[in-house]
Amino acid sequence: MHIKILICSCNRIAIASNGKYEITRMHIPDGLLNAGTLVGTAVISTGGVAGAVRVVGKKLGEKQIPMMGVLAAFIFAAQMLNVPIVFGGTSGHFLGAALCVVLLGPWATLIILTLVLIVQCFIFQDGGILALGANIFNMGIVGGGAAYLIYQLGLKLFENNVRTKTILSFAAAWCSVVLASVACSLEIVISDVIPLRVVLPAMFGTHAIIGLLEGAITVAALTLLRKTRADLLDLQESWQTDEE
Amino acid sequence: MKYHFLDQYRETGSFIHKLDPRVKFLAMLVMVIAVVAVPRTEWLAYGLFLILNVCLILLSRVPVAYVLKRSSVVIPFVLLVVVFLPFFKEGAEIGAVNIWNWHIGIKREGLLLAADIMCKAWLSIQSIISLTATTGMGELLKGLEKLKMPRIMIMLMSFMSRYVFVLSDEAEHLSQARNSRSFGGGIRLHVRTLGFMVGALFIRSFERGERVYGAMLARGFEGHSRFFDRLSLHFVDVVYLLIILVASAVIVLIPLLLRSISG
Repeated sequence: MHIKILICSCNRIAIASNGKYEITRMHIPDGLLNAGTLVGTAVISTGGVAGAVRVVGKKLGEKQIPMMGVLAAFIFAAQMLNVPIVFGGTSGHFLGAALCVVLLGPWATLIILTLVLIVQCFIFQDGGILALGANIFNMGIVGGGAAYLIYQLGLKLFENNVRTKTILSFAAAWCSVVLASVACSLEIVISDVIPLRVVLPAMFGTHAIIGLLEGAITVAALTLLRKTRADLLDLQESWQTDEE
Repeated sequence: MKYHFLDQYRETGSFIHKLDPRVKFLAMLVMVIAVVAVPRTEWLAYGLFLILNVCLILLSRVPVAYVLKRSSVVIPFVLLVVVFLPFFKEGAEIGAVNIWNWHIGIKREGLLLAADIMCKAWLSIQSIISLTATTGMGELLKGLEKLKMPRIMIMLMSFMSRYVFVLSDEAEHLSQARNSRSFGGGIRLHVRTLGFMVGALFIRSFERGERVYGAMLARGFEGHSRFFDRLSLHFVDVVYLLIILVASAVIVLIPLLLRSISG
């Protein structure tokens, strides 16, 4: 029972109950957070996304617009894939913030995750519309931002080889998941719904495990790309030079 | 395609379907804000909002059962978030469970708060479903563009909403292939396989993106889309928005009014 709440109070995990809700992500619904938290996170997220639109708009040419749209759809579809057995009745799936950061950079990631969240909210009723700001803040700004900082910082500090990149992408994936869940629990606490001593250990505990999965999936996906289409790993550079 | 049910009732031809998408979007936003703004545990207001939602669904000729069924999907998940509230909230104890020596009190405040969050989430979802059931994605995006959403976001969203279903199918094919060939084995194998599937899906998506761009280029794409049909606000649109605004405000205020009369 305890494991259940740990898993379900979190942002996203697939719940497999006889296959019925096999692919169900979960974001913060409307009505959970209070007005102050909603407005605060919405303002930060709007600012962040506006900044990302400006940066990406300058950097991306006409070619990248259809590509970004398709890749946002890719992140959405990739989240549908799941690991069949993880622990008792639940199954883990992939979130993609770190993979997206490694492949496309932080600004494109923020835009792509925002698109995914908007589509999930409107078409699949996953996550509330007023809570969209909070969900974008958790996944895009905190999750994506953490992954970017760790990956870039690591690349500066350590030797730049395949092994470092593998370890860094694992760390970035773990941190993006865990920090997003911490942000989510802090929002719940600020809204005075569940006390900190209950929600934080629960969220942190489960997401530490989900983060390991995320890290392993991210590393495996990058390994496959390195072996088959290594050119795609340098997308960011090629997108920039295309413009110049 | 497993999402055919999304578009099932887009052509029932009611007057709500024909309303301006801007108006429908704003009306949805007003209703969700009103539901969230209802003071905690004002059950009367929630009941009235449910009636308002059902009326709007009836007017749009979308089966009420369809909306209620789809919106109720949210319940198990909200329930799992709030199910522990009765035990952790401070307040008067109304019952208790004893597991050996472990005393777990059920608090009234927590129970009410859990029910309240549930109502808000459920009613908000109903509003969003009745918007998307009566408005096509293309129309909605046109409306959002008129509401000054950044152009690049609108374009990205229109691409995404087209390819989401294509790539979901692709992901399903990958899953099916995996399920039919890869079973047994430990978690390591499964996780690695999933990683490879994600990588493969990325390559396929990327290549599809390139083909899409090539096809668009061949048809004269210059970096932005042009829309032909213009939206125009009619009298009925304004009236609809006004009715929703007034009704939502009245429902939010009714409990306060009743209280001031009785108190």
